[in-house]
Amino acid sequence: MKTISALSHESRAALPHAILAFLVVTSSATPALAADGPPLKPWQEFLSYIVEPFLLEGALLALQISALAMIGGITLGLGLALMRLSNNAVIRGSAWFYIWFVRGTPQLLQLVFLYDALPPLGIKLDTFTTAVLGFALNEAAFSAEIIRGGIVSVNRNQSIAAASFGMGSFLTLRRIILPQAMRAILPGMSNDVIGMIKGTSIASVIFVNELTFRSQQIVGQNFKFFTVFAAAGVIYLIMTSAISACQALLERRFNIEIDREAGRGSGFTFLNISLFGFGPKPAAPPVSVARTPVPAAKDNVEAAASLDWIRNITNPTSPEPGNESVPFVVFRNVHKAYASREVLRGIDLTVNKGEVVVIMGPSGSGKSTLLRLVNHLESLDWGEITVEGKYVGYQRRNNMMRPTRDLAKARADAQIGMVFQHFNLFEHLSAIENVMEAPVQVYGEQPETARTLALNLLASVGLSQHANKLPHRLSGGQQQRVAIARALAISPRLMLFDEPTSALDPELVGEVLGVMRRLAEAGMTMIVVTHEVRFAQEVADRVVFMDEGLVIEQGTPVEVLGAPKHERTQRFLRMVEREVDPA
Amino acid sequence: MFRSKGSLLALSSLGLAAALLVNATPASAEAKCEPDKVATKYPSIAGKTLKIGQDGESPPYSYRDPKDFKNLLGLDADLARETFACAGIKIEFVTGGWSGLLPAVIAGQTDMMWDTLYYTPKRAEQADFVTYLTAATGALVAKGNPKAIKAMEDVCGKRATAGLGTVEEASFRELSKKCETDGKKEISLVTYPDMPGGTRLIANDRADVMTTDLNMVNSFVKDNPSTFERGFMIVSDYKIAVGYTKGNKDLGQALLDGLTVLKESGKMKEIFEKYNVDYSLARANEILTK
Repeated sequence: MKTISALSHESRAALPHAILAFLVVTSSATPALAADGPPLKPWQEFLSYIVEPFLLEGALLALQISALAMIGGITLGLGLALMRLSNNAVIRGSAWFYIWFVRGTPQLLQLVFLYDALPPLGIKLDTFTTAVLGFALNEAAFSAEIIRGGIVSVNRNQSIAAASFGMGSFLTLRRIILPQAMRAILPGMSNDVIGMIKGTSIASVIFVNELTFRSQQIVGQNFKFFTVFAAAGVIYLIMTSAISACQALLERRFNIEIDREAGRGSGFTFLNISLFGFGPKPAAPPVSVARTPVPAAKDNVEAAASLDWIRNITNPTSPEPGNESVPFVVFRNVHKAYASREVLRGIDLTVNKGEVVVIMGPSGSGKSTLLRLVNHLESLDWGEITVEGKYVGYQRRNNMMRPTRDLAKARADAQIGMVFQHFNLFEHLSAIENVMEAPVQVYGEQPETARTLALNLLASVGLSQHANKLPHRLSGGQQQRVAIARALAISPRLMLFDEPTSALDPELVGEVLGVMRRLAEAGMTMIVVTHEVRFAQEVADRVVFMDEGLVIEQGTPVEVLGAPKHERTQRFLRMVEREVDPA
Repeated sequence: MFRSKGSLLALSSLGLAAALLVNATPASAEAKCEPDKVATKYPSIAGKTLKIGQDGESPPYSYRDPKDFKNLLGLDADLARETFACAGIKIEFVTGGWSGLLPAVIAGQTDMMWDTLYYTPKRAEQADFVTYLTAATGALVAKGNPKAIKAMEDVCGKRATAGLGTVEEASFRELSKKCETDGKKEISLVTYPDMPGGTRLIANDRADVMTTDLNMVNSFVKDNPSTFERGFMIVSDYKIAVGYTKGNKDLGQALLDGLTVLKESGKMKEIFEKYNVDYSLARANEILTK
């Protein structure tokens, strides 16, 4: 046959030349077996193999096996990835072992084992089931590592913020972590899908008649390996191109750097499908400022006219704000240590209903830790904290505080809003979606009700215009105001602020403090960790000074800031004022 | 009583029985095609659809019909169809990579492998065999036999190729050592994973000689007369056989009866000629269980 003899002339040519020569070679070959009718020209023959049902059936089989095995593999892989991230050493170890074993042994042997070694044990799987199972079990090990890589690539701040709103770990994973991890997961996963479609050919050893094996059979009979393999190659390319296209579209879908409002107009609307149910919600319809029930506020916090919204969201059943004799948050002999380092060494503190308490102190004095103990983001080692007379996620047993099982529900029930130093906005959600997330997902609010509330809140922090922007499009001050609106959306009974202005440029500090000031005026109970002396002077009912895990002194701003008794307080205030003065 | 004499005796009597069976002329006088009597003749397999493993990529034994790729053609495919038509048993061909065919029989995933399988005592530990063909080796060389390879000894100092893990590979390795002791150059050997891959080595002048089953070589030469020719051939004493599930006596009997009838009726000769396989290579049919 000429195909073969012609090839020998080309055998010394470099590979690209050989591929180019392919057309020349085949155009001079005569089809040997086209017995009936006029012989086909080689390019016709090549095209006829591309549409040959025998080969296409093989391609379909490869696709079916890959699709089912990918679904099974990713599901198992997600489970394995979570097991790998578990705190329990046995769970972590068994996932590690599985991945180590499956990745470390040849897949061909795994398939032969499933097909030929299990029947004596009474488990007889057919060819298709064996292939799907074999590829799924193998894929699980690989995708587990890809998914784990994606999960750990998401900033831990994101899950801390979610936890502070009472989102459970599964909800956090589905709504917050995975949508952001998708960007890191998708490229690796597409590699795996493409690899699997082509890799199904090794299953010929267990009688899977997919594309490569079928083309080998045709070649075994007619020796037209160039024509047949080239046609098979084209079929593979078509299949893998479809996967690449899906990858590109999905990556676009999960790319938070693409402005979603712009993306919507450019033909990607159909991608607003919820992938495996954990995609971000379809982008909200553009918010029309005219429709907002509150008067449109300019991007100026001072412009927000009404304070009604805060009265609405503060617990209506609680006593009127200003009744400062009712103890609301009570710390008794609170101890906390990280490994051997004692961070809190016996804190006793009471915060009354409607009171604004500012906690100051040098870094490392335990202020932030104390705040995180209030809503049980961290567990205390000794002592107790009550919020409105109740523990948040603890049970007292044998005179010991033990965390309850459903910590997320306890946090949600406590309704404590928290604002972080680094904002911790959900990066993949727009400003309004950030605000709506907890009301809808944790408190089961109707999306439309939550949207109206969110718009009101964004308007009152002066951000109506930016409702549909993703966090990275906003300035630090704007992001922190969204974070405050987000914390207010759960109708908090208590607001915790953890150095809310420390990460801001000096000119942006004012807008955030302005919002906090109005919140205080509206009667919100607040615990604020900050270095802003002026804010403390003007807004705080009480200033608490901490150092080395203890409360050194406390009192009214005039007492503590004006005439500090303790030497360490004096030193600290001198230092802070020196920093502030030049500015 | 018999058992009490110990397993050694039992083993040796079995061995004797097997030896007798091998030497005996097949008890074929009564062998007839009686598909209606399948239930009485082969009760344990009557009514079943037997799965036959083939690779579908080795002409002239098992390959795809160029007019309809869904069909299998070849000496082994046709012999299998005729044999079980004679017995009155339905069959189904399942195609897979050659190396997976025998493991599938051993595991019980298929009933038999009928695809140029050599009988060896080692293989007979895990499957039973019915022989039908004598193996012969052919040497495929480029058209015109440019390196003048006319016998095995001529391969010394040349580039040879054989299938990975085959008896041909082993014999090249052995010969290469002999070449060196005889003061000749050693053989440079490359192995190939599949038959068409081996033929491409010859066609592209990457190897001088390829050895494999004689009938495959004949088939390649016939289909590509301007590219290949046969350098030489050797008839070996390897037995080509159908490998089937260990201990399936009815299946072994059906195979033996069917092949015997095909031979007597002349149908077997017809099939050999259809695929250009030398009929003198057909051999006595016998059941080998060890």
